Amino acid sequence: MTALTTDNLIIDIPGRAPGSPLNLEVQPGQVWGVLGPNGVGKTTLLHTLAGLRAPHRGEVLLDGRALGSLKRKSVSQQLGLVFQDRQDGFPATVLETALIGRHPWLSSWQMESGEDIAIAERALQALDVGHLRDRLVSTLSGGERQRVAIATLMTQAPDIWLLDEPSNHLDLHHQVAVMRLLSGHAEAGRAVFMCLHDLNLAARWCDHLLLMYPSGEACWGPAREMLVPSALESLYNQTLMTVEVDGAPVFVPVRS
Amino acid sequence: MRIRKAVISLLASLFLVPGGLSAAQVCSEDALDRNVCLPEPAERVVSLSPGATELLFSAGAGDSVVAVSAWSDYPPPAAELPQVGDSNRLDLEAIVSLKPDLVVAWIDGNSRAQLDRLAKLGVPVFWLAPREFEDIARAVESLGRLTGHTPVAERAAAEFRQGISTLQATYRDSASVRVFYQVWDQPLMTINGDELISKAIALCGGTNVFADLPRLVPRISVETVLATEPEVIVTAGRGDSDRGWLASWQRFPSVTAVARDNLYLVSPSLLQRPTFRMLEGARELCGILEQARARL
Amino acid sequence: MPVSDLFRPLAALALVALAAMLVSVSVGSADLGIGDTLSVLVGGGSELHRTLILDLRLPRTLSAFATGGLLAVAGALMQVLLRNPLADPYVLGLSGGAAVGALLAMLAGAAGFLISGSAFAGAMLATLLVFGLAHGSGSWTPSRLLLTGVVVAAGWGAMITLILAMSPASRLPGMLYWLMGDLSHAGQPWPGLAVLVLVCLLVFPLGRSLNVLARGSLQAAALGVSVRSLEWLIYLVASLLTATAVTMAGAVGFVGLVVPHMLRLALGNDQRMILPACALAGGTLLVLADTLARVVIAPEQLPVGVITALIGVPTFLYLLYRSR
Repeated sequence: MTALTTDNLIIDIPGRAPGSPLNLEVQPGQVWGVLGPNGVGKTTLLHTLAGLRAPHRGEVLLDGRALGSLKRKSVSQQLGLVFQDRQDGFPATVLETALIGRHPWLSSWQMESGEDIAIAERALQALDVGHLRDRLVSTLSGGERQRVAIATLMTQAPDIWLLDEPSNHLDLHHQVAVMRLLSGHAEAGRAVFMCLHDLNLAARWCDHLLLMYPSGEACWGPAREMLVPSALESLYNQTLMTVEVDGAPVFVPVRS
Repeated sequence: MRIRKAVISLLASLFLVPGGLSAAQVCSEDALDRNVCLPEPAERVVSLSPGATELLFSAGAGDSVVAVSAWSDYPPPAAELPQVGDSNRLDLEAIVSLKPDLVVAWIDGNSRAQLDRLAKLGVPVFWLAPREFEDIARAVESLGRLTGHTPVAERAAAEFRQGISTLQATYRDSASVRVFYQVWDQPLMTINGDELISKAIALCGGTNVFADLPRLVPRISVETVLATEPEVIVTAGRGDSDRGWLASWQRFPSVTAVARDNLYLVSPSLLQRPTFRMLEGARELCGILEQARARL
Repeated sequence: MPVSDLFRPLAALALVALAAMLVSVSVGSADLGIGDTLSVLVGGGSELHRTLILDLRLPRTLSAFATGGLLAVAGALMQVLLRNPLADPYVLGLSGGAAVGALLAMLAGAAGFLISGSAFAGAMLATLLVFGLAHGSGSWTPSRLLLTGVVVAAGWGAMITLILAMSPASRLPGMLYWLMGDLSHAGQPWPGLAVLVLVCLLVFPLGRSLNVLARGSLQAAALGVSVRSLEWLIYLVASLLTATAVTMAGAVGFVGLVVPHMLRLALGNDQRMILPACALAGGTLLVLADTLARVVIAPEQLPVGVITALIGVPTFLYLLYRSR
């Protein structure tokens, strides 16, 4: 299983002063949450970690090897990403969409085999969209599309899962189901690294957190140490009340 | 006294002035069936098509032509004259500023709407549309009358008529040959029976294989040409550069024209414009068909 | 997708294509029955019939097939490249460049090979121009490419008008027929057919990458596709296809737009299916359109581009209307 580390990484956000360097170590079995207000660069960070954007400075390393020195194909076997928004200019069925996750594992001349289809179907079942298999993606609801996207990542089955707001559009039940699925995969030895805007979801399911401040500062570490009310209040510029439920802290914004 | 004087001058104006005009006035009917009258023979003529230019020179009015349209290349002095634009894109301003007393237009090339504006400005426009050999002769006579060269024009017209009827008499009883006349190669185009070239072919005792098509210059396929089984193929390429037009027919030896080597190249300059040069072109064509007959 | 799923629709399309070609070689202004046609095709028939079918109709039919196939495949590739199902092979100004090349050659009095060569050069020049301009300072997106191409195409359009305005009347019919797309002077069909077959073989291994690219360049990159080089490859291949087609038959419109679009509605968007299907269906469409062009007002001929536009415009509007 692969570890994702960053070496003095500064992400490149055009028109913004460089933030503080990140030295993250995302190990197999960990579930990371990235928290921060809108526009702080969470999506840019994910894209940089996936090698889709050049960093401003520093490096991203997969098992100690610089991302830039690896072939895109082998990167995509170790690391996958669920995007926040998706293009579907062309019609495609749910199964076809999930099947593109097999792309990194097939050679140019190979057609998808029955086994690949079985992998994709299992992923769709796991995300509770198996029954939509032959529907066109463009006819699905936002939550269903989100789950198809996660199923595509599951079909890709990389060691490191990057997810940009995976709980978007999901109803409460499916939010919990997706989080449970993600932490299940982490327990099986994968690393999960996701941006979240729901503080409580992060508090509940993540074991590590990265807080990104509008000033460009960032801090990270085990969730217990990061879930300090004062740090979170300054993160969102919002006064919070903390209550403890079921052994975990719950943060509630103060009225007025 | 005053009244008397006024009456006399009125009478004088009634009798003298129109009488004075009528001495020099010239009239002729044009192709739009309008009687075009000029107060006196035109001395500044603008020709709006290469064909009209040739006819004006044939009528002896070459010296009166002050400007021509583009591509007016015959007779050679015409090519030296100032130009007033392409026949379908004329420079009206240039025409008006030349102060012409006659403009000669061509029904197939010039725009009616544009020249009607010219007529509104008081410039007389004479339209030509020769469809028969006789029309060519008459056009020259009309232009001669309007420019004050009647004797020259009538002599030239008579010569032309004589030439045509001689050809007609010579080939009236000749054996008919089937002729395909190629106007252009890409796209492949020919002429129907209404085109003067086709009439020249008929004059020489030939039959245009596409005489019955509805359009004047129809576009056809190679296959259609083969199916009509021409005995002679005449192409109007421009000199040696278009020998390839003939060569491309060599691929079809099953066609009589190819089998008998009846493939000819004529210069389109003699035939493409309905002018007196057509007589020369027709003589060349008749010679070709006579040669072709001998090979059949 | 298993190979067997590919086979059936493609085999059906291939049969339709063969039938269309058979119709095309049996129909013409000279009256030959299907019996005469078949006897020529198996090596018999009179000399005239052999000439008509083997020297005239068959090369023209094959040229029509190659042209249609090339344009449809090029259209499908351009659509993936621009992530826009409404793109066509000419959207980036390639036909304009080819037209300017061909018309200049015609204006100079060239014929035959010189016209096609000049058209091909114009098409490649247009490709490189858009390639260079869109590359610009380095940032490159489909929308930037599209915008560059559309503006360059408008420039070509102006040059075409200028050339037409400056040309003597005797050259205009040839120029107009070229601009509308016309197969009567397509030379040998073999280069076009060879390019078509080669490209279909080449794009098959690229097919899955193209499928992924159709989902967006970021998604494709995340799945291990080298997006930038794949995009340039598609652009160059599509340009080469279009240039070959335009060289054979002038700017035939609508095949490259309508055929991929219709096939996607019927067969989905797997490029490994769509691209060969485009080659077959595009070829079939143009063979049929050209047959119509030859017989509608026979013995006179229409340029095939008129027919494809007359078929293409209403079909396309209908599809748009239905697709909401």
